[in-house]
Order: sequence, then structure tokens, then C-alpha cells
Amino acid sequence: MIRPFELHRPTTIAEASGLLMTLPESALYRGGTELLQVMKLGLARFAHLIDLKRIPALHGITTDEAGSIRIAAGTVHHEIERSTAVRAAWPALAELERHVANPRVRSIGSIGGNLCFAEPHSDPAALLLAADARLELEGAAGRRTIAVDDFILGPLESDVAPGELLTAIVLPAPAAGMTLAYRRLALAERPTASVACRLTVLHGVVVEVRLAVGAIGVRPVLATVASAALTGVPVTDLEEAIRVASPLVGQACEVVDEPGASAEYRRHLAGVLAGRAVRAATELMA
Amino acid sequence: MSAETDPRPTIEVDLSINGRSRRLTIEPRETVAEVLRGRLALTGTKVSCDAQVCGTCTVLLDNRPVSACSVLAADAEGQALETIEGLADPESGDLSPLQQAFIDHAAFQCGFCTPGFLMAATALLREEPDPSRERVMEALEGNICRCTGYVPIVDAVLSAARRSAP
Repeated sequence: MIRPFELHRPTTIAEASGLLMTLPESALYRGGTELLQVMKLGLARFAHLIDLKRIPALHGITTDEAGSIRIAAGTVHHEIERSTAVRAAWPALAELERHVANPRVRSIGSIGGNLCFAEPHSDPAALLLAADARLELEGAAGRRTIAVDDFILGPLESDVAPGELLTAIVLPAPAAGMTLAYRRLALAERPTASVACRLTVLHGVVVEVRLAVGAIGVRPVLATVASAALTGVPVTDLEEAIRVASPLVGQACEVVDEPGASAEYRRHLAGVLAGRAVRAATELMA
Repeated sequence: MSAETDPRPTIEVDLSINGRSRRLTIEPRETVAEVLRGRLALTGTKVSCDAQVCGTCTVLLDNRPVSACSVLAADAEGQALETIEGLADPESGDLSPLQQAFIDHAAFQCGFCTPGFLMAATALLREEPDPSRERVMEALEGNICRCTGYVPIVDAVLSAARRSAP
């Protein structure tokens, strides 16, 4: 059983932030899909849990005039998967959400909780990094906006200040010629390796690439060297460039061994998946 | 052990379980599975992995599948909670078309995982009354059966979908 705790149910962000500041040993949760597991295992103990489900501002997906999509942090995976706005602008995110964990986790687990927990295998984190999404946080000190790369600090460590809440994830509108694809290999529920690719092609030439590699290291990272090897390449020569870039993807970070998948294997997978992601992004161009 | 010294906060919750309202005083730490099985003797919901991986404890919250082992009972407040006990017709006791299809296709052996499969498939058929075989497999990929293999289970879901399709 989970150790006893007291439950709090704020209805505004300010109220939640205040509770977090005043209650000792307190933690925020939405679905609890990550937090309750570690509490069950006795890996974390909290005297107070602050439920975020009753805060309307933390729920829903909106699109602004410029076409950027704002996903409130408490929005659950299943809802993102079904969102027509997400499907229209960034179909790769909707597709990714369809495969996060299992249907039960997707019913109650939120995208914001996923990011804050900073589990190294997170599917959304790698894609949002490639998409150059911005994260909005709010707390006693006010509001701030931060890039995904700066938010996820390490395994189970995200840049949330005391009393602060992640409130939203903002994906920019796709620019001309820009597409996004995500490919992963999962031996169990969590991916063994994953790669997201944001590709911009203008007049038949790759003008920008943002490859992000997830799961293989302690946090998702941008594969900048591999991305550079693909930039400036005519689409017709992309296969040759992929051959050059693939081995570089796994060099983007320190790769760790895990049961069933050695670091070497995962490094190799990252290269293969990068090729697939680049090809998939290219095909979306049509 | 600190069991005696731990404060044990309680909370009053109004739950709707299989269409019936229940007001209960519980501890916030209690999961849906613990309340169903321990307090209400609704033991149709089975618990196996206790880590939301195996799907055995699947119940529905507002028509969506969730793991009863890993959802706080307090979080079920304000939503329609449905368990395996609610699938058959409460008046006649007639099995749901899906339950009948599981029998017709011999889609279980030991039966321990069956309530979870039935709830997961019920959620799928409510959202997509006429799913493809691929969609059924996708919706059930988080449910684990260690006896029968999955083919009869998928067959049963597809046959129930056809039977109740307009």
C-alpha cells in the first residue's frame, strides 16, 4: 500500500502553487501514473499530494491566430491523440500519443506530468525537443517560458522551481516546408531508442534539420552533428546523406546499457531510427 | 514500523460504481482496486502486476480504461466507474454480447485476466463500434494473458462488434 498522505484539491494555479510552498513534503500530480508507482515502491514519500485535475486552466488544447498550438499541461495523452488541431498541425505528435505506454495510462496520464517526471524514455520529450516546443511555467515568482532542452536536466530531474507548475506546452506553427516525424523501437512499453526529426525543405533542398534522440541516454538531446550532415542537402541526395549522418546520431550523448539492450545496440538503433524518421518526414512533404 | 504513529487522514468520497452511488469514507491513499475489493467485496476486478502494466485490473472511468491498481479511489469521484460486475444486465443477468462472445470463442482458460480484457474491449467498442482487427490488437496490447494466446480473444471482440453493429 501507499504510505498515508493528505489529499488537496486546488481549483486554480495560484492556489496549487501556494499549497506547494506551504505544505511540507508535498507533490503535485495529475494522473499519478508515474508518481503513485514510485510511492508504492517506497522510492518517494509525500505527506501531501496536490491534485491538479480540478484546475480548469490546466486542461485543453487551443490554437492561436498564428497557428501555434498550446496544450495545457494537464491534458491527457488520449485527448492529444484525438485532437483535430494537433492532427492537422503536427500529426506526428498525435501518432506518438497513440503509442505512449498503454491505453490505460493514456486515459489519465498527462503530457505535463510526463515532462516534469523526466523519465529518460519519455516519448513526448524527444518529439517536443525536435519540434522546438516552449514550456510555460507559473509560480510565486511569476511566469516564464523555457525550451525543452533547458527544462529536462537529467533522469527524473526537471527545471521546476519550488512552488512552480508547468502550465502549458506550446508548439510553433509549422513553417513553410516543415514536417515532423517520430520513430521508435520498443522492446517493452518504454522505447529502447527513439528519434524525432523536424525537417524543413525549400525548393528541393533541406534547409534545416532538428534531430532529437531519446531513451538511449539520461535525457533526450539534439543530435546537432548528425543534423548538420543532413542540412543543405538536395532531397534527391538524402539517402547518401542519411548514410553519413546515421552513425553520428548515437554520438550525441552518453549511451547507457539497460537490460536487453546494450549501449552499442542502442547507439546503432538511434542511427537506424534517425534514417527512418528523416525519410518519414520527407514523405510527409508531399 | 510506523503504522501506529502515521497519521491516517480520511476523505469522504461520492463514487458512482456500475450506476449506483456510494458515499464512502476512505483514506486518500486507497486505490480503486483496494476500495472495490477490500471495502465493497467487488472482487471481479483482479490485481496482478500492481504496476499498471498487465491490464488485469482494468476498469472504466467515464468509458475510458484505467488500471484500478494505480488510480486513487478519490480520483474516481465525479466519474462513472464501471467494473466487470456491471457488464451483465442487472435485471435479467444476461451477459453482455462481448461476454457471450468470449464464451463462444473459448477466449479464456484460467480466466484471471478476463475481466481486464472484457473492460478494455468494452471501452474500445464504445469508442469504435466496428474496429479493424488491427485496432482491436492495438487496444488490447496492454493486456497480458498467459494461457490462451490472443487469437481467440481478438476473434471474440470482433465477433461481438459485428453482432452489435447496426
